[in-house]
Amino acid sequence: MTESSTLLPTGQRRIDHLEMRGIVKRFPGVLAADHVDFDVKAGEVHALLGENGAGKSTLMKILYGLYAPNEGEIYINGKKVEIHSPADAIANGIGMVHQHFMLVPTLTVAENVALGLKSSREPMLDLDVVSERIVTLAERYGLQVDPSAPVWQLAVGERQRVEIIKALYRGAALLILDEPTAVLTPQEVDDLFGTLRQMLDEGHGIIFISHKLHEVLAISNRITVLRDGRRVGTIPAEGATKPQLARMMVGREVILQYEKVDMPHGEALLRLEGVHAHSDRGTEALRGVTLEVRAGEILGLAGVSGNGQRELAEAIFGLRPITAGKVFLDGREITGKSPALLNKLGMSYIPEERMVDAVVKDFTVAENLMLQDHVNPPYAVGKIFLNPRAIAQHCAEMIRSFNIRTPSQETPIKSLSGGNIQKLVLARELAREPRVLIAAQPTRGVDIGATEYIHQRLLEQRAKGTATLLISEDLDEILALSDRIAVIYEGEIVGVVDRADADVETLGLMMAGAKRQGEQVAEAV
Amino acid sequence: MIDVIKALLTVSALASGIRLATPYLYAAIGETYGQRSGVLNLGVEGVMLMGAFTSFWAVNRFTPEGATTYEPTALLIGVLVALAVGFVMGLATAFINVTLQAEQGISGIGIYLFGLGMSDLLFQRLFQGVETVNGFPKIYIPGLSDIPVVGELLFRQNLLVYIAFALVPITWFVMNKTTLGLKIRAVGQNPEAADTMGISVVKVRYFTVTLGSMLAAVAGASLSIAEHNVYFYNMTAGMGFIAVALVYFGSWRARGVMFGALLFSLVTAIQLRASTLGIGIPDEYLRMTPYLLTIIALVFASQRIDQPAALTKPFERGE
Amino acid sequence: MKKLGFVVVAVLVAALVLPVLTPSAQAEGEPFRVAVVMPSTVNDLAFSQSIYDALVAIQEERGEENFQIDYSENLFVVEDAATALRDYAAEGYDLVIAHGSQYGSSLEEIAPEFPDTAFAWGTTVNTFQDEGITNVYAYEARSEQGAFVQGVMAGMLTKSNVIGVIGPIETGDAKLYVDGFSAGVAYQNPDAEVLVNYIQSFSDVALAAAAAEAMLDEGADILTGTAQMVPGAVNKAKEAGALWFGTQADQASLAPEIVVASQVYDWTVALNPIIEDIEAGEINGEAFSLTLENGGLNIVFNEDFELDEAVMARAEEIMDAIVNGDISFEIDDEGNLSVIEAETESEG
Ligand SMILES: Nc1ncnc2c1ncn2[C@@H]1O[C@H](COP(=O)(O)OP(=O)(O)OP(=O)(O)O)[C@@H](O)[C@H]1O
Ligand SMILES: [Mg+2]
Repeated sequence: MTESSTLLPTGQRRIDHLEMRGIVKRFPGVLAADHVDFDVKAGEVHALLGENGAGKSTLMKILYGLYAPNEGEIYINGKKVEIHSPADAIANGIGMVHQHFMLVPTLTVAENVALGLKSSREPMLDLDVVSERIVTLAERYGLQVDPSAPVWQLAVGERQRVEIIKALYRGAALLILDEPTAVLTPQEVDDLFGTLRQMLDEGHGIIFISHKLHEVLAISNRITVLRDGRRVGTIPAEGATKPQLARMMVGREVILQYEKVDMPHGEALLRLEGVHAHSDRGTEALRGVTLEVRAGEILGLAGVSGNGQRELAEAIFGLRPITAGKVFLDGREITGKSPALLNKLGMSYIPEERMVDAVVKDFTVAENLMLQDHVNPPYAVGKIFLNPRAIAQHCAEMIRSFNIRTPSQETPIKSLSGGNIQKLVLARELAREPRVLIAAQPTRGVDIGATEYIHQRLLEQRAKGTATLLISEDLDEILALSDRIAVIYEGEIVGVVDRADADVETLGLMMAGAKRQGEQVAEAV
Repeated sequence: MIDVIKALLTVSALASGIRLATPYLYAAIGETYGQRSGVLNLGVEGVMLMGAFTSFWAVNRFTPEGATTYEPTALLIGVLVALAVGFVMGLATAFINVTLQAEQGISGIGIYLFGLGMSDLLFQRLFQGVETVNGFPKIYIPGLSDIPVVGELLFRQNLLVYIAFALVPITWFVMNKTTLGLKIRAVGQNPEAADTMGISVVKVRYFTVTLGSMLAAVAGASLSIAEHNVYFYNMTAGMGFIAVALVYFGSWRARGVMFGALLFSLVTAIQLRASTLGIGIPDEYLRMTPYLLTIIALVFASQRIDQPAALTKPFERGE
Repeated sequence: MKKLGFVVVAVLVAALVLPVLTPSAQAEGEPFRVAVVMPSTVNDLAFSQSIYDALVAIQEERGEENFQIDYSENLFVVEDAATALRDYAAEGYDLVIAHGSQYGSSLEEIAPEFPDTAFAWGTTVNTFQDEGITNVYAYEARSEQGAFVQGVMAGMLTKSNVIGVIGPIETGDAKLYVDGFSAGVAYQNPDAEVLVNYIQSFSDVALAAAAAEAMLDEGADILTGTAQMVPGAVNKAKEAGALWFGTQADQASLAPEIVVASQVYDWTVALNPIIEDIEAGEINGEAFSLTLENGGLNIVFNEDFELDEAVMARAEEIMDAIVNGDISFEIDDEGNLSVIEAETESEG
């Protein structure tokens, strides 16, 4: 082996072999890592699988110096290393893209990358130098970004590219990706995999976490499954199957196909007429959206992210001003009405950014579960006094049926795993038995066991006559659940088709902006 | 009406406004550093009082008995003493807010009360009564000070006034052009992200809070040894709290803070002239105008975009 | 963690504030014990210092072992003052002084609870006799008298015929002084303009200074002012070479070169008879006034300032007139001052 082979093209020393041995991490009430062994080699993707709360992120945060393990050791190329902080991890050539992005939205891409690094002109910033290197890296790895753009203006896919550039810029030889694909469109996932393959060829090591089994099978060399903080097993990706992995994760068989009962067409519960709204940046995000969702129907809204899905949901739910057009709930006009009133009228909303828009991070699990209903009987007596018994019972029921992994109802929600926070929001909104439900990316970041459960709950609601608007970028999910499918492109509905007439190809074309032949948008009503 | 405005808007009214703005500038720019990094320090007023007293004491102590003019070494020592006191109080503030993660609104009031009580206690112990010192003289900048209007406004002030205004571009530069400024901004917006980039959130916040406190102490000194050359109980009379408001007013930018300080001070100066000339509005109402105007401007001109997202939120890594 | 931080702060604050608030325990014994609650500090060169100086003077006369003084400072907030007043009364002080007109309503409540304790309230003439309370003495300074004398001097000394007066808020002792001074100027020099500004603050040094600047800007060559924030204005007068008249205490030390004279209060004139009453066991709740006549008010000329003989003579003449009653002052229900001259007046 020549000397140069131990160096990466970025100049960083290769991590030929990184080992975590006997890692133990205890949180109050939880054993998040129970003597876990894990290793990754240069040039391979080692995937980590496991249900929500299995301890994947915890293990990786230990490796990145964010959490201190109670026991265990880390070895790089056979030598023991001490990693007490992210600075140590970075110095050892470890980079991490976090489950929740770690970017400063008010800063530009270049500033985010330069953050904490020595400048070539200390104490002054050298953003021009940084920008140049970003462009070089971006070209090499196919990570298109504009160094001078403020991060808050970027779409999720772009933000993720910034995260990867941040790690590469710091000379990461080993890259940890914690659920990087949860927020990406299929096309973006392909691009990401392109980048990762390029890195593998150069000798980087990659740790990849995802709940999407087909992705794991597509990119990984080896797969380790965690369950309740313990390592269930490590198997080569080659020859592994989805049902096998699902069984390892959940400990039982998982249904991957659903039964759908036929529902009679009910009357339109939710109706939109020519709705217009602006985006946060002030551009026109919705350009005359006309739609209706009937009782007992799931209307899937497909589309590439950033085409107005979020704005549409927010406009319906009174969180975003409607500049023109009308919204009706069961025949009653609700344009511009407050979320509190809509809640009362039987509408529920599961937002896409649940961490930001749906929970109060410093509140406990129980408080978050009761955010809306704590003023209503039986949880409140006379609108003023809380009824702790009824609340505790109701919460326990939700926690059990949605399998929310939490030490107790009194645990602050910020110490739950990412997927469990998602489940909590779903539990809360579905338990309300809404007449109209707007569900945005309901299974993003949720493990397969819970995904199955959520899908079944959505179908149950449908059977009870709920009108559901299902916003998802996951075409499999849309096809599995919807009765009809609408496709949104640049703020317009380009077409609505029956599930029976839909196939992935036509939907893909429509998502790229092609109107369906012979179909009139208005006629879809 | 025109006559009234003419009578009120004199050059010396403007000059008076500029001098009034000086302590606000020091205190509010100092507070800007802290807030930009996510720490609200409501104790500014207390630090100002301590700075005012200790620098006054030092100048009094190191000016030779019976001197009729200012003593440069005494003045230098006065400023250094204020800086040292600000440094110590800043460390204490940072310890309480950053390390102990106290509720910042409440701890700030504690620091204020400490400064108020301590400065008075020391004054009682060390002085028999109200006294005066020979403070910083006005410096006429050669040539420039002779320019009509502008000369009187800008180039006939004491040293601490010049430094206060110099802090505005300096702060802009530090915040936007240096690695330190980038760290400060990142820590105030998203401390978790800064932490994962290997930045010590705690260190950055200790630095900004301590620096802010040192500037607050100089704000006090600018009253007691440069502008008024006297010290007495509670002489800042709420300026430190106004300074905190001015940071919001200025949208966390040094330039905005300066405009806020100038607006507030100019309106104060003009309003005092109005009540002196007796334009028929009761003094009580006139006295409210700077506050009212500031609030109105705050409501209409506010751009919350730059509000540090982590302001008042303590940072703690998961463990 | 958070709680700990709060506790640390609370302890620090308490350690500082408590000694100020809690009257120190007194040894039992013979001495006459007096306690005073004041809005500012004993060395404020103004209102609060004037009462403290008087008590110290009495103490020097009677000997420290026979006369004990305790005080609470900076009780501008009425609620805090009320607590201190009640504590002092409960501890059995012979005389509890509420030195601030804002303390009236508290005293009205507290005094009946301690019928054996004597209280004194200043500055006011109200002893709550009408409310049936007999153990509250009242004292006030007719500060308009000295102010009038100073105003006359200012009227003679001004060259620009513009004179500035700075006050805190338009009430009580401050208003008496400001009105008296203005009346004096008008009496002596009807052409002179008096600029008055109540800055609505007792402590804002910068505001007092800026008000002074505004007056100097208008051409004022003589300034005066009342309350503890005036040193800010004195400094501006000094910079501009304008003259200054002080009140409530001798302010010559602030700026020896420009202070012409100060009106000084001597509260012993009111306090001595009150103490004698108490010692004789005859608490009767009288009202006392400091005047030029009874020596409670004194015009102290600054030795370092060379005052024109004619001005000095005129000041003496006016003082005599006030003492004789040739010139007297009346304050109506709205607090407005009018000057009354006896028939025999020779000069206008
Ligand atoms: N900071 C913390 N304090 C307390 N408990 C924590 C903390 N972080 C994680 N946990 C607990 O540790 C367990 C493992 O969490 P972790 O985030 O590692 O799960 P995960 O496998 O990443 O799940 P997901 O797929 O939902 O992201 C969970 O039960 C979680 O509640
Ligand atoms: Mg996770």
